[in-house]
Amino acid sequence: MSENGSEIKTGISQAGANTDLVVRNLHKAFGKNKVINGIDFELKEGERVVVLGPSGSGKSTFLRCINWMEEPTSGEIIFDGEVVTAKNIRRIRRNLGMVFQHFNLITNMTVMENLTLAPVKLKLMSREAARKRAMELLRHIGLPKKADAYPASLSGGQKQRIAIIRAMMLSPEVLLFDEPTSALDPESIGDVLSLISELAERGMTIMIVTHEMSFAKEIATRVVFIDKGRIIEEGEPEEFFSHPKTERVKEFLGKVL
Amino acid sequence: MSNFFSKIGELFSTPEYIDSLLHGFLLTIQISYFAILIGILLGTIIALVDTAKKTKWTIVPKFICTVYTTIIRGTPMALQLFIMFFVIFAVKGFPSIIIAIVAFGLNSAAYTAEVIRGGILSVDPGQTEAGMALGLSQRTIFMKIVAPQAIKNIIPALGNEIITVIKETAIVSMVGMYDLNMAAKDIGSGQNMASYIVPMVVAALFYLVTIYLITFIVKRIEKGLRRSDLRGEE
Repeated sequence: MSENGSEIKTGISQAGANTDLVVRNLHKAFGKNKVINGIDFELKEGERVVVLGPSGSGKSTFLRCINWMEEPTSGEIIFDGEVVTAKNIRRIRRNLGMVFQHFNLITNMTVMENLTLAPVKLKLMSREAARKRAMELLRHIGLPKKADAYPASLSGGQKQRIAIIRAMMLSPEVLLFDEPTSALDPESIGDVLSLISELAERGMTIMIVTHEMSFAKEIATRVVFIDKGRIIEEGEPEEFFSHPKTERVKEFLGKVL
Repeated sequence: MSNFFSKIGELFSTPEYIDSLLHGFLLTIQISYFAILIGILLGTIIALVDTAKKTKWTIVPKFICTVYTTIIRGTPMALQLFIMFFVIFAVKGFPSIIIAIVAFGLNSAAYTAEVIRGGILSVDPGQTEAGMALGLSQRTIFMKIVAPQAIKNIIPALGNEIITVIKETAIVSMVGMYDLNMAAKDIGSGQNMASYIVPMVVAALFYLVTIYLITFIVKRIEKGLRRSDLRGEE
C-alpha cells in the first residue's frame, strides 16, 4: 500500500513520551442500565491490546470511557500520571486518538480540511505545515487525489483510512479503535487492517475493539475479554486463544473461531 | 367579462389606486421583513438554549423557552395581535407598525426556534464525536461542524416560515392597518371602484410574485449548500 518512503510517525518517537494509561474501578451506567461494572486496567507504551467480548458486553463503552466520549459514572482514568477530568480532557484527547466504526469524517469538509482542522485549530501546526503533512499521509495511503474530495464521494475503506490518518495528524501517544472494520465491505477490511498493522509495527500503542479474530491474534500483545461490564479474562494471544481459562471464553471462542 | 377588463383599466389608470396598493404592499413587506429578522434572531437564541446540555445554569432558561413556545404555538396569531394592540401596547399614539412587527416577530420566533432546533438535532452525533475526539472545543465543533450541517436542514423549513409570515401579516387589516390586503379592500369598496374582484386579484398577484421570488431564492441557496453532498466528482 505504501507507494513512497514517507512514514507515519507515531507518538512514540517523541522524546520523553512514556505512555501509561491506568483505569481504576471504572463504572458506567446509562440511567439504570449498568454497562461497566468495575474495570481495572493498565496500558503500557508499545502495547497492542485487543478487546473482545460478546455484543452488549460493554467493550465499546469501555473504550469510549477512556477518552471520555462517555463520562464515567465513577472510577478514575489516569493518563501519563494525570487523572482525567472534565477540565483537562480536551488536552489529553490530543494524545489519545480515536477511530470510529462509522468513520465520522466531517461531511461538510473536504478530505484536506478534515485532516488539517484539528492541528491548525489547536495551534499545533501552521496551515502550510499541516497541509504538507496531510499530503504526505494521503500519498502514503495512496489517496493523494482525494485531497479536495468530500467524504460523500469516498468508499467506506477510503473513509476509514482517512479517518486513521486524521487521528495520526495529531501524533497521538495512543490510538483507540472502536470496531474499525465492522461497517466495511470485505475488500476494504484488508486495506484498513494492513494500515493498522503498519502502525503497530512502527510501535504505536493501540487499543482496539474488533470482531476480526485472526487479525486480533496477529496484532495483539495482549487480549482482554469483557463480559457483562467486567474483564473476565486477559492474557497473551497465544495463551488466550489456545488455552482459554474460563468457561465463558471457551464458549465464546467456540462460536466465533 | 368586459366589465372585468374595464375595471382592470380603471384600476391601473387611477394613480390613487396604484398608490394605495403600493403603500399597502410596502407596509406588508416592512412588517414581514422586521418580524422575520426578529424571529430568526430570537428563534436562534431559543433553539440554542433548547439544545444546550442540561445543567444547573440552563434549567431555568430551558423552562422559560418551553413555556414561551408552548403559549405562542398554542394560541391564534390573530388573538396574539389583539393582545399586543389592545392590552400590552394599549397606549395612544404608539406606532402601530412597531406593535405589528413585535407581534409577528415574537410569534415567528417560536416557530423558527423549532425549525432551528430540529436542524441542529438532525446532525449525526458522530460528527460531534469526531470533533471531540480531535480535542476541539465545543465552540469550534458547533461553528465549524454542527452549524454548517444544520443549516442545510434548516433553510427549506425556514423558507416555509418566511412565506407563512408574509401571508399571515394580512390579518393586520383587522386592527385597521393599511397593508396590501386592506388596500385591496379599500379600493374595491363602494366609495371607490365598487367592485372587489379586480383589486383583490391584483393584491393576490402581489403576494404570489413575492412568495414565488422567495421560494426561488431559497431553492438557489439550498442548491449551493448541497455541494458537499454530491457524490462522485471524478
